[in-house]
Amino acid sequence: MNLSFAGCGFLGIYHVGVAVCFKKYAPHLLLNKISGASAGAIAACCLLCDLPIAFFLNFRLFLDLIIDFPQVLPEDAHLRVSGKLHISLTRVYDGKNVIVSQFNSKEDLLQALLASAFVPIFSGLIPPKWHGVRYIDGGFSDNLPTLDENTITVSPFCGETDICPRDYSSQLFHVNVANTSIELSKQNIHRFARILWPPKPEVLSNMCKQGFDDALRFLHRNNLISCTRCLAVQSTFVVSEILDESFEYDPQCQECKQHRQEALVANLPDTVLSLFQDAIDSANKGLINWIFKHRGMKLLSILTLPYTLPIDIIYAIFRKFVALAPHMANSLVTMCEFLLDQIKHMCSHMSQPSKQLVSGNVSCRLALTNYATESASAPVSVASTIPAETTVPSSADKPIHLKNKVNFNFTLDLEDSDLDKSGKISANKILSRRSSYGQQHQTHNNNSSSSQSANSQSASSVDHGCMMGDDTFENILQVTRHHDALMAFYYMDGDKRTRTVSLQIAKHPSLSQEIESTIAGSASWRLINAVHRRDGQILPLSFTPD
Amino acid sequence: MMCDDANFYRLYCLLVDFKLTGVFGWIWSWWSPMSTNLLRAAEKQILTCLKTAYKGWYVDIGSVVGPADKIWTISLNTDSPKTPLVLLHGLGSGVALWCLNLDALAAERPVYAIDLLGFGRSSRPVFSSDPTEAEMQFVKSIEEWRQEMQLKQIILLGHSMGGFLAASYAIHHPDRVNHLILADPWGFPEKPADVVLKNNIPFVVRAIAYLMQPFNPFWAIRAAGPWGQALIEKMRPDLVKKFSPVLSDSSLVSQYLFQCNAQTPSGEGAFHSMMTGMGWAKNPMLKRIHLLHKQVPVTLLYGGRSWIDNSAGEKIRERRKEGYVNVQMIPGAGHHVYADKCDVFNKYVNEACATFDKSDEDTRRGNLQVDSD
Repeated sequence: MNLSFAGCGFLGIYHVGVAVCFKKYAPHLLLNKISGASAGAIAACCLLCDLPIAFFLNFRLFLDLIIDFPQVLPEDAHLRVSGKLHISLTRVYDGKNVIVSQFNSKEDLLQALLASAFVPIFSGLIPPKWHGVRYIDGGFSDNLPTLDENTITVSPFCGETDICPRDYSSQLFHVNVANTSIELSKQNIHRFARILWPPKPEVLSNMCKQGFDDALRFLHRNNLISCTRCLAVQSTFVVSEILDESFEYDPQCQECKQHRQEALVANLPDTVLSLFQDAIDSANKGLINWIFKHRGMKLLSILTLPYTLPIDIIYAIFRKFVALAPHMANSLVTMCEFLLDQIKHMCSHMSQPSKQLVSGNVSCRLALTNYATESASAPVSVASTIPAETTVPSSADKPIHLKNKVNFNFTLDLEDSDLDKSGKISANKILSRRSSYGQQHQTHNNNSSSSQSANSQSASSVDHGCMMGDDTFENILQVTRHHDALMAFYYMDGDKRTRTVSLQIAKHPSLSQEIESTIAGSASWRLINAVHRRDGQILPLSFTPD
Repeated sequence: MMCDDANFYRLYCLLVDFKLTGVFGWIWSWWSPMSTNLLRAAEKQILTCLKTAYKGWYVDIGSVVGPADKIWTISLNTDSPKTPLVLLHGLGSGVALWCLNLDALAAERPVYAIDLLGFGRSSRPVFSSDPTEAEMQFVKSIEEWRQEMQLKQIILLGHSMGGFLAASYAIHHPDRVNHLILADPWGFPEKPADVVLKNNIPFVVRAIAYLMQPFNPFWAIRAAGPWGQALIEKMRPDLVKKFSPVLSDSSLVSQYLFQCNAQTPSGEGAFHSMMTGMGWAKNPMLKRIHLLHKQVPVTLLYGGRSWIDNSAGEKIRERRKEGYVNVQMIPGAGHHVYADKCDVFNKYVNEACATFDKSDEDTRRGNLQVDSD
């Protein structure tokens, strides 16, 4: 037989009375599943974890639930309740009912309980998440989750429930709200007013007593009270027999009879009663309490409501903020870091606005040609915008056997609509940038004889292209020092010295894009010279001149 | 002051009752989607779930309350020679709600289910506003129906208000009742003096309760008009759910109930005059149960979760020491005990019927004759 507790806000103290009665007289009923919604779920959780009921007296608001509940809940709570506690939740996006019973951690369990007790607007504006989905109070879809046919239902509202207060009104009409049957009686309407506002300790105490008495009456009527010995027999029955027969009791057992007689006159245990008494006393003691209980004071408090309400709200917000501060600290730190990053980033952008405006497109083509040894000086036909290039082959008198032909083709294409705005790059520069020019270099290489001409040629070809003011040797060195070569080729000259031609695209931040591309064309040649003069070793793609 | 109060209250009642006359009546007929054809169709569709063949017809009982009253009757297994079982429904329902029980109950004996006068498909005359007289009008209509059906003895099974009327019938015609079975009957306990309670209830709640008093119980359903059916589904989803195992269309029950109660509230009005406060009987049956002949056996079936005060069963047992009283509680069932746990209910009813079937019928009859002499 399973138990089911209805959600009922602050009337949840009724469940405590029921739980106390069950613990005392029918502990075998607590071995099975217990389901609940909202306050019913919390009561069920407390029951499964053996929590003291004093907790219920103290908690007044949803906020208290967030702060206090984790402290009183044992660390292994999720292990104790997993599979037994069934919490009814309402999924926000489709309003369907969801019953959960597996909890991975204590936080997991807490979150589910919180979600199950979340009344929108009253408890807050944003529903809590559980396993990534937002849920609200289970009372909106199924307030009294019944797991199977044999579920004992407990509800603090008079209605068609197993354990509920029986009002002194033979009500004919009852409505069924979210699976909870509620009679339309005067007392029930009165009870409704207490769901969301905490009643006085006296009322709470009475509710608890009522729960105890109702539960006892139910146990009596269904012959569920028996002595411990008979209980042991019964629990073995449950395994073999069907459920209904397991509750057959042995009328001969004297001990059971005695137990039953005792239960007939039983009252709420003293320990529980004294707790309530303490709470009532503390609420009534003192001069201030006496003054506030006075009628005139009550009237005054009602009249000053328009003034005190905003203060109350501000106080509540402040309390909430204080309560949530530890949770918010981490996210605040992350947020600040992010903001600082953004500001830093923005500052660096402000200092170099033009860099952001230019978009570049550099392409390069490479052609290698092998010449036969017999061939005469082959006409070189490469589209070139640089006249100096064409003069290179004519400098050699004797027939040259071309072994290799290297063809570089650079394309530089920069387009940006914001160029005009920046104003830093003049129109003719844009033009020169837009033109694609090819640069050709031929290496005449004789296999056997030394080729000084090649040296001189390469030396001569270096001189052109120094069109830019920034194209200084220092710049080039800097570029090559910081960047790998885009491409390079090595060859052996007549003196058995290896030479390197490397092409580099400079991306040094201090140089403009345009300059970089030009350097890339000419810099490689200069570097060859540098290499040539210094040593003949095979050099890595990037090297460091002295 | 008291007199003024009473006058105001009477005026208020008149205003509430005014609604069905004149122009307002015309607007009302346009507003309320009531139709006897729809009621007939809904009932027929619900009864298609029956496996036993049934027959339905109007029994003309002549002028009992109105000029020519007819009672809608359905019968099953009429060929069986055993004592017939007659089912009386509760407030605001009708024969179709017995659909979960008819098959099982008709397996052994003839079963008749009727729409009480002023309910369901029966005629809807204007009952007396005096509680005793209204009750007698109901009893007379049942007796006329029995005579018209030519049934010598019947087993009377009443639910809720039907149980109250069945008990009243058994008091007035004990020789005709073979066995009185009351399923969660209404109107047995007396209204407790609630002097103490009154102080605990806020004024607003009491005021609302006071203003609601002149209204018939189901006024809200009628007032809702086109939304009445939706209102039933919203307020009592459990009722619809009870019948879902046999009915494919879940809206059938709500439609049937709405059509039953959207019509002129004649039987409902009679109930209203028999009732006082919020659902108590003006002439509670417990006060009169000693009038019931000791030879009429009584079986009481209570739902474990029912709101009806089931201590009445124990009180009946105390007050009828000589007679047969059997009180059974069906755990897990609510007020609609016949639908909540229909299997257990059918089993109990069949057992109760079988107890006094034939064996001591002759002796009983002999006793009755001796007593009446």
